[in-house]
Amino acid sequence: MIRTENLTKVYRMGEVEVQALRDVNLEIQDGEFIAIAGPSGSGKSTLLNMIGCLDKPTSGAVFIDDIDTGKLSENKLAEIRREKIGFIFQQFNLIHTLNALENVALPMFFAGVGRETRLKRAEELLAKVGLGDRVDHKPSELSGGEQQRMAIARALSNDPEIIIGDEPTGNVDTEAGNAIMDLLEGLNREGRTIIVVTHDAEIAARAGRTKRMRDGKVLD
Amino acid sequence: MRDEFLMAYRSIKERKGRSILTVLGIAVGIAAIVSLMSVGYGMEEAITGELTKMADMISVIPGEISGHGGYVEKGGFTDRDVNDLQRIWGIKDISAMVYGAAEVEYRNKRLPIFVLGGDTKELGGFYVEPVGLKEGRWLRENDYKGCVIGDRVANDFFDEVIHVNDKLIINGDKFIVVGIFEKASTLYAADVDPHIFLTLRISQDVLQTEEIKYIMVRVYDIDEAEEIAEEIEETINDNHGLDDFANAMTMGSALEQIGTVFNIIRVVLVCIAAIALVVASIGIMNTMLMSVMERTHEIGVMKAIGAKNRDVLSLFLLETSVVSLLGGVAGCGLGWGMAILISFVVEMASGIEIAAIPKPGVFLGGIAVAMIVGVLSGFYPARKASKMSPVEAVRYG
Ligand SMILES: Nc1ncnc2c1ncn2[C@@H]1O[C@H](COP(=O)(O)OP(=O)(O)OP(=O)(O)O)[C@@H](O)[C@H]1O
Ligand SMILES: [Mg+2]
Repeated sequence: MIRTENLTKVYRMGEVEVQALRDVNLEIQDGEFIAIAGPSGSGKSTLLNMIGCLDKPTSGAVFIDDIDTGKLSENKLAEIRREKIGFIFQQFNLIHTLNALENVALPMFFAGVGRETRLKRAEELLAKVGLGDRVDHKPSELSGGEQQRMAIARALSNDPEIIIGDEPTGNVDTEAGNAIMDLLEGLNREGRTIIVVTHDAEIAARAGRTKRMRDGKVLD
Repeated sequence: MRDEFLMAYRSIKERKGRSILTVLGIAVGIAAIVSLMSVGYGMEEAITGELTKMADMISVIPGEISGHGGYVEKGGFTDRDVNDLQRIWGIKDISAMVYGAAEVEYRNKRLPIFVLGGDTKELGGFYVEPVGLKEGRWLRENDYKGCVIGDRVANDFFDEVIHVNDKLIINGDKFIVVGIFEKASTLYAADVDPHIFLTLRISQDVLQTEEIKYIMVRVYDIDEAEEIAEEIEETINDNHGLDDFANAMTMGSALEQIGTVFNIIRVVLVCIAAIALVVASIGIMNTMLMSVMERTHEIGVMKAIGAKNRDVLSLFLLETSVVSLLGGVAGCGLGWGMAILISFVVEMASGIEIAAIPKPGVFLGGIAVAMIVGVLSGFYPARKASKMSPVEAVRYG
């Protein structure tokens, strides 16, 4: 279970303060598929980054399985990002010098998984997202939709319970977007918690629950 | 570990252009150090090497060296002085020399030129061996009408170039040029290039003197040189009834006198090394900082998918080590090439022979500098990037 408690994030740029999140209280059950929608600048990405342990809150807390992530060491946080969470970015954020297989295997490399196992599993994951024939392609040699599927395979690398996607379909066309949503739905059926930010009402409709945000607040 | 190496290899290979630039940036810095140091050592060697070759020498001159480096002449030595020296124990050989200006005529042009006469074998050992002859042969004891001339006498002094078998008139007597010296290196240039060489007897005739102006003594054991020098002075002073007539100077003491010169060379060398080091370090730091900094985004991504700071740092440490090592090795090669080029250009331009000297210490030092500066200046931005939150780093670039 994921739970935020008065989660607040303030960005300070010189004199100017931006309240990206204001006292957000949100509970996400294990195995849930939740969509987060809202206008640009409402704090959706900021919320996902906090939940995904990619950034630290200004105040308040994020609990993952009742562990207060704010109290964890850097190394422990890295471990949670590696083992518990798979993060999918709108910009894919693949390592462009590595091929598909290596990109997907990278989180396992950091987890200390042996080379053989790593590459074998990476191959399976690529097959699972429909890129079985693209293992030795560089990200730049693939379409946006394919790159995002590669990123999904990478997110699955260490078999995480939670998949977080920040507008995973934002940079691909409708068809590729649907394929990505199909994949996420499949992952949800496997029992994983899925949290996605989307602008697209149609895509949001495929989630079990949709939460709307405005001005750093989650609306009821 | 093998996996890390594979990652480093991939990263360097896939970023070929950038990697080559980084390696080159490091190599140029290291090349500056290696070339300057190699030439610097060559310079030191050129000066000390030739001097130490003469360490067994004692120069005996009539007169004294005054306090401020001047020299007061007091006439000349006699044949008796030379004969008496032969009785001193520990002397390998003795060479008497005469010198003085003479009027020399070649193809209707007359010039005053310095004439140097001495035992042909001794003189030969002293000048022909190190300098070498370009044409003809060296003097023999029975060369009553033969002379050997220096490079400038042959090529510069007269309107026409002098060759072997050309005739010169020295103080009214006809001589045939039997040999011509090569252009001498710096140390010998003043002694050989502008002079005409004759046998001792003939030069005494030509200069119309019985006196000997200079005696050169070689000893068997350099450690005894000082003692022998004192004995030489006593023997000659006795002959002339004066107590400070002869001045015998060992090369050792001459070396001491110019010891300050060596110290200056050392200081110059150290300065050169220091400047090269600073220049190299700034260059290396710059390229390395840039190449790692532009990968902040990549570091952010790695952290976002679960890399610990330690994981990121060890990857970058390994990669920068490999790049630095390549840069260091390439820099050594490049620097050595530059050193050879510099010594070639210096010789072409000035005739001064300074051979670049390949010192292992210089190469190892160059590689060490590349590694230390390269890895440290790669480590700094990598650490900075890894300290950022993943979001912050990913935003970058
Ligand atoms: N690193 C930052 N520094 C300063 N302000 C920031 C930073 N990141 C986000 N913000 C601000 O925080 C607010 C929320 O940003 P956030 O990215 O969470 O919005 P979003 O809902 O994801 O918007 P979008 O739909 O455009 O992605 C915005 O006003 C944004 O300008
Ligand atoms: Mg956003």
